[in-house]
Amino acid sequence: MNWRRIRNILFKEWEDIFSDLNNILYVTLLPLLIIAEPLVVMWLVARFGGESLIANSLIQSAITNLSREIPSAAVLTDMQQFQVLLLSQFKFFLMLIPTMIAVSFATFSIIEEKQSRSLEPLLATPVRTSELLLGKALSGAIPAVLVCWACAAIFFVGVAIMGWGGLIPQVLTPSWYVIFFLLNPAVALLSFLLGVIGSSRAKDAKNAQNMILLIVLPVLVLIAIQIIGVVWFNLLLTLGLSIALFIVDYLTLRIAVNLFQRESILIKWS
Amino acid sequence: MAAIEAHQLTRHFGKLVAVENLDLEVAQGEVMGFLGPNGAGKTTTIRMLSGMIAPTSGYARVAGIRTDDPVEKLHEVIGLLTESPGFYNRLSASRNLEYFAGFYSQNDMPSRIESYLKIMGLWERRNDPVGTFSKGMKQRLALARALLPGPQVLFLDEPTSGLDPEAAEEVRGLIKKLSGEGRTIFLSTHNLTEAEQLCHRIAIFRNHLLALNTPERLRRQLFQRRVSIRLDKFNEAISEALKKLAAVKFFEHQENQLSLSVDNLEKDLPGIIQTIVFAGGGVLEVKEEEHSLEEIYLILIREEDKA
Repeated sequence: MNWRRIRNILFKEWEDIFSDLNNILYVTLLPLLIIAEPLVVMWLVARFGGESLIANSLIQSAITNLSREIPSAAVLTDMQQFQVLLLSQFKFFLMLIPTMIAVSFATFSIIEEKQSRSLEPLLATPVRTSELLLGKALSGAIPAVLVCWACAAIFFVGVAIMGWGGLIPQVLTPSWYVIFFLLNPAVALLSFLLGVIGSSRAKDAKNAQNMILLIVLPVLVLIAIQIIGVVWFNLLLTLGLSIALFIVDYLTLRIAVNLFQRESILIKWS
Repeated sequence: MAAIEAHQLTRHFGKLVAVENLDLEVAQGEVMGFLGPNGAGKTTTIRMLSGMIAPTSGYARVAGIRTDDPVEKLHEVIGLLTESPGFYNRLSASRNLEYFAGFYSQNDMPSRIESYLKIMGLWERRNDPVGTFSKGMKQRLALARALLPGPQVLFLDEPTSGLDPEAAEEVRGLIKKLSGEGRTIFLSTHNLTEAEQLCHRIAIFRNHLLALNTPERLRRQLFQRRVSIRLDKFNEAISEALKKLAAVKFFEHQENQLSLSVDNLEKDLPGIIQTIVFAGGGVLEVKEEEHSLEEIYLILIREEDKA
């Protein structure tokens, strides 16, 4: 693996992606919408009918799990505990950001090369398939993670503005940091690798987009599991999940390289 | 050592035989024209020789490297001009070249980029997005890209296809210049005039090799040499005298213009001229009739059709 070549792909991709205003709007507006959603939900819950929601057995079991994970939350009122629960769900909403960006960018990563006929001259250079695919995946995953982190900062500012700043320390547990700095990059890289696979196998951009939409599903499942309290992602679990995902990332890259049939791509797209 | 060697190179796509048992050697510094109609397997051959696709059977060696070895090594020493230029339209010409240059190990790429942009007449437009370029400009930029690694062997797939005559002439001029620098060039084209102008040898190909030689030898291989003689007047005595000459295989005339087929032009022509003069003809002009590459090509392709 030649990192100089991967860096070459990264910088070119960024230059190409961000020279298009639509792309800039997509990576800024979409994450803002994603972080606005939990803020609005929190406000709505606090404003209308929070008590009836808290009485729900699923929510009660989630709050019990929360108290086990964050003992200091036990001294809070029911409503505050519920708010901490909502705040702690946000870490999973964050995962939607790289996956949604992947759906857009990774979809076009190889398809666009095929359509502009730049893939053949590119493959005529000494670039290796693994370098090309990793470069493409990282070029999307790195900005997606940075946007994700920026969104977290904006979210907490929003929480503070809404008057719940005192609850933030309850949320920033060690598992939160693991999710933030390990799980999220792993999910981002996986999303983009899967996106690149979809893009390299698809017949056209629409076909690729349909394939890549499937990436979002596991993340949605993860959010649902956490919300309904089936599994509480404590430090050990999040750490284990992060490591497992990095291994999956590596394996996915290997699979992507095997699935990227230079020859059939060239023949089908000439 | 030959710059390009192909041994029984064959490629099937399912039941379709795109290239069959191609045996070929191209010497270093030679410009080889690869002529054939659409669908003849020219692009498939170039892709096999440049290591982009694998042969079904047979093998090839380019610049001393087997094309079935890991392809990175081969791609360091060859240049490929693909049929479609293929650029990133939002990026500038120089940025496009910088990107492709970034995959090679050479350190002097910035100066090469500058040099080739100047040679291709694109230096003034180097900062403009490629999307604003004409087809001819894109083709010249693609040629610059193919030259970036300083290739020992350059594959050009239909380099003037789709270009207007002026742009095509510009590209041909550049190919001539590259040939003058001693590079081995493998030129796939169906433009016969272009092949005749640029190539040392020509391979006529339709899924398999139909003929391979210099344009001159291909002519001799297929046609008897013909000479055209303009006389001040033509008379029966000249006709009778020519009929008696064994060296003249065939002749015909149209008014004062005489056309003869001769086996050995250099040896027999003085005697023929003398015969005509003795028969009372005044010789005003003598010139050898040239058969165009187009005639050669059409004969071979039609023979192939009949077969």
